[in-house]
Amino acid sequence: MTQTSVEDDRELLARAQAGDMSAFEALVDRHEEKVYGLALRMTRSEADAAEIAQDTFLSAYQHLSEFRGEAAFGSWVHRIAANNALMRLRRQKVLDIVSDDLAGPEFTDRGSLAEVPESDWSKRADDKILDEELGRAIREATDALPEGYREVFLLKDLEGLSYEEISEMVGISIPAVKSRLHRARLALREAIDAFYKEV
Amino acid sequence: MFNCKESIDSLLPFLEGEMSPEDEEHLRQHLNGCPPCVEFVNTYRATSGLCRKALVKSMPPEVAGRLRAYLRSKLETK
Repeated sequence: MTQTSVEDDRELLARAQAGDMSAFEALVDRHEEKVYGLALRMTRSEADAAEIAQDTFLSAYQHLSEFRGEAAFGSWVHRIAANNALMRLRRQKVLDIVSDDLAGPEFTDRGSLAEVPESDWSKRADDKILDEELGRAIREATDALPEGYREVFLLKDLEGLSYEEISEMVGISIPAVKSRLHRARLALREAIDAFYKEV
Repeated sequence: MFNCKESIDSLLPFLEGEMSPEDEEHLRQHLNGCPPCVEFVNTYRATSGLCRKALVKSMPPEVAGRLRAYLRSKLETK
């Protein structure tokens, strides 16, 4: 979001706080894609994502008067949505699955890489269009992450939340958040590397 | 000087500029002599961007319509 958009949000927010429903609807218009995207990535359910978007904006409206504008409106609703998604996952009891068998690089006894990476495919990340098969491989690898790792990876690398916010939401220490993030990235890097080995 | 494992273990603080100058020097020395680890760093760094592209989700218009109708029904009764 650009600086101008943030300023526009402030103007809309001020009008919404004064009771202008159309200004609040304009804020919903601007942020619904991001909120829904977060909820869908987190829950993997379109029905849950739609409900989370509803709950998030309703809650934002109900607490509009408390919002002082220290943060951007977008970041605020994003955090509400992330909390709602995590609460829903907790209710479904899928958050406590943590595994030690995540994929990652293997090393020799002397700590050298046992296998040389397939190739330096990093430049392909700049391609505007993602290969469809690669996209599928990444989605499968993300879905295969243990839930405690998947949520941290999504909240940090996809949603851009801070370590402090994630630590508070998920209820683990910042070093634990960083450790999970690193291991999730290693597992996903491994999956992408495996994809390029096969093609 | 770090070995490959120590280098890869320290990638997250390295990329976020949170390493001690001494450790960063150990890592840089290793990278200078280890092309596979340089490739590893490049691909590790590119992983998040590729995942972002793969995991983009857009909101179907009918869901946006239902959201709008829901909010109106809730907020009009207040």
